[in-house]
Amino acid sequence: MSERLTNEATVDTALDALRSLGVATGEVFLREAQSGSVEIKEGAIESAIARGERGVGIRVLDEQRLGFAYTSDLSADGIRTCADTARRMSGVTEADPDLALAKKAIDDADLDIYQAGVVDRPLAERGAVALTVEEAARAVDPRIRQFRKTTYSDSESTTIIATTTGVRASYRESYCGVMTSAVATETSPGGERQVGYHGEAARRFAELDPVRVGQRAAQRAVEKLGSRPLATQKLPVVLDPWMAMDLLRAIGPLFSADNVLKGRSLFAGKVGQRVANEKITIVDDARKPRGLRSAPFDGEGVATTTRTLIDRGSLRGYLTSLKTASKLHIDPSGNARRGGYGSPARIGPSNLFVAAGSDDAEGIVRGLDHALAVTSLLNLHTIDPVSGEFSLGATGNYLERGGRVHPAEGITIAGNLTHLLGAVVGVGNDLVFGPGGLGSPTLVISELSIGGA
Amino acid sequence: MDQGAGIRVTSGERTTYANGNVADVDDLIALAGRAARSVADGGELHEATPPEPDSVPRHSTVAIDPRSVAVERKLGLLRRANEVARGLDPRVQQVTASYGESVQEILIANSDGLLRTDTRVRLNLAVHVVAKQGEVLESGFEALRGTAGFEMLTDQAVEQAATDATRRAVLNVGADPAPAGTYTVVLSSEAGGTLIHESVGHGLEADLNLKGLSVYSGRIGQKVASELITVIDDGTDPDRRGTSAIDDEGTPTNRTVLIENGILRTYLSDRKHAEKLGIPRSGNGRRESFRYLPICRMTNTMIARGTSEPAEILRSVKDGVFVKKMGGGQVDVVSGNFAFEITECYRIRDGKLAEPLRGATLVGQGPKLMSEIDMVGSDLGYSTGTCGKDGQGAPVADAQPTIRIPSVVVGGKLK
Repeated sequence: MSERLTNEATVDTALDALRSLGVATGEVFLREAQSGSVEIKEGAIESAIARGERGVGIRVLDEQRLGFAYTSDLSADGIRTCADTARRMSGVTEADPDLALAKKAIDDADLDIYQAGVVDRPLAERGAVALTVEEAARAVDPRIRQFRKTTYSDSESTTIIATTTGVRASYRESYCGVMTSAVATETSPGGERQVGYHGEAARRFAELDPVRVGQRAAQRAVEKLGSRPLATQKLPVVLDPWMAMDLLRAIGPLFSADNVLKGRSLFAGKVGQRVANEKITIVDDARKPRGLRSAPFDGEGVATTTRTLIDRGSLRGYLTSLKTASKLHIDPSGNARRGGYGSPARIGPSNLFVAAGSDDAEGIVRGLDHALAVTSLLNLHTIDPVSGEFSLGATGNYLERGGRVHPAEGITIAGNLTHLLGAVVGVGNDLVFGPGGLGSPTLVISELSIGGA
Repeated sequence: MDQGAGIRVTSGERTTYANGNVADVDDLIALAGRAARSVADGGELHEATPPEPDSVPRHSTVAIDPRSVAVERKLGLLRRANEVARGLDPRVQQVTASYGESVQEILIANSDGLLRTDTRVRLNLAVHVVAKQGEVLESGFEALRGTAGFEMLTDQAVEQAATDATRRAVLNVGADPAPAGTYTVVLSSEAGGTLIHESVGHGLEADLNLKGLSVYSGRIGQKVASELITVIDDGTDPDRRGTSAIDDEGTPTNRTVLIENGILRTYLSDRKHAEKLGIPRSGNGRRESFRYLPICRMTNTMIARGTSEPAEILRSVKDGVFVKKMGGGQVDVVSGNFAFEITECYRIRDGKLAEPLRGATLVGQGPKLMSEIDMVGSDLGYSTGTCGKDGQGAPVADAQPTIRIPSVVVGGKLK
């Protein structure tokens, strides 16, 4: 076997390669990850996947022009070729005076995001998590008889960043998660079938709650049985924390300074202005202890921060990278995130959440003559951050004075994100964090257009 | 550059898959050991058949390898797209043009003695345009994608893509919001095939049908759509985005008739599910990369041409909605409920196109919608995309003729 360098030695080799090529400045990003997943079927493990990855991404900044290349070939030759490709690419891209590599030292923060041994647990123990999910789901209702898919997954990874401008730092993180799609089947012949999805994740194995995952998925499936169409109308809409997180994910790109500077965000030029109902406060917290997207530094080696983006309805600022912060003459927020060694940094939120409110969400819903409580949304990926327009497929429960009249399917809900943020009339005190670091309490929207029969 | 391998071991009902970046044969042997470890106890290993290489037909031609094309030429195309878009209308505020190329070198060997290779050269040139009128911002998008050589990216094709993206953005900033409700809808062949992909295709994947969870489960030989509807998945369609010589288990790709004149004929299968369901291997076991197990999924999926004149279909509608371009979509395969985005559409009044509408979506239930389609045109139009399933992305193309749906829910706003 070709001699395997340690991660730190690999980074040193890449830095040496950059210097020997004579580039002005350069950056090395290394990611090593071990991950796995277990899928079960009919009470037994059906498949187990073990995955390893290790590679470097190299950026060269020379005469204010940036080049990027990556490789999983970590031999001395492979690293040198990669560094040289990055150097060549920096020769063909457009110069930008605001481009920069990190120079400031990163503080030593312990975010409690790593538990050793998560991926080394025996297969039986990992499979048991998924089996527990299905057992808990079946126990909810006898009509839960099948599962589209139940998967447990976990990972441990190491990230190192080093620049020729003096920054060098690393961190380790662990992750485990379980999800299921439970299927409820009506007992009558040719019975209606509905699916309910739920998934949760944690940094530590003991913090996963498979029983809750199974129960929630089962409830989601069962509550859709007996669905009927709904007439086209305007209705108040209730989003439970999980549905609200789905919409929050779509709002994330609006805060990207890159989108703002390119005129691709509704929030461009609106700092200091009212962009949401005063009940709404939205925070991006990369330093949340045990947060699923917490990290001490971002994909450019900039220390991460905690930012209030919308404070009681007013826009306070954007998520930035080194380049966009320089263009906006502000300090970078440390939100240039990288999915892996093969992807260049892109601005994105860390743990993005709507702060808990003081409303009793159930009380508000009981006060509404009619409302739609959304139970699933289809096509969230088509929400346009430029226009903010959305028109989504949906299922939901049609409510009268808080009581369920019937479930509905084959409907659409449409609106505009600006309008939606302004029309939040209730923010519950029930803040929950979900996968992807997102968090939200229950939200009540005064009115949205419902398309139906 | 990302190089790696995955080793799959099956033992009874259990599959173990170990994968990772590999640099040499020692790394590969270590992976194999990892994969075998969990089935070693009690499992009986059989002697592997020595691999025999053979060759299968290739369906894509690559006259110009994109790796041999200078970066300057690629940048030139992007600059041209930018110039064209900005020159068309003063309301254009932002243009983003991007180019991506990927070359996948694949080798598959198994203990049955199969040994096959494939090279997939895929290109993607996309133009995204933002237009602004008053306070309204809208975007338009067009992409050129295929499993083909650099020759597909002619100046003319790139200029057309930039023109289409711009026209759509500018049209939408001036359009009225789509009204929510139930309408007669004509889907133009130009709209692309998102409808067939979402409303039918996913429901015909064999993995879901083995579990009995699809709305199409157990219905082979039965009528599941209007007799005007024939649905085909064709991984051999030359140069299309979903085309390859073999799938990611080494099975040659096929032209598979899934629904023939309304009758369900078969499902999209990988090796395991073909065997379990007793249907032919269709060559649809695909994976994003060596990091994933293969799953049953589409390649290039289409509704076959019918016999109606497209113009006559439009003329037949007194009051309705004409969909000229579809965007992304999603389906809940268990209930069959789907939704897809419409990125360009118009009101139909008295058989003619009237005012443009923006922000529309179409929702329905697959088998119901397919049984209601009452006119199918003699034309055919393609669209391309990246299909997501179980966390894996796969390049696909979809196609359909112009069709008429008598009554379907259109999502939009109410005044």
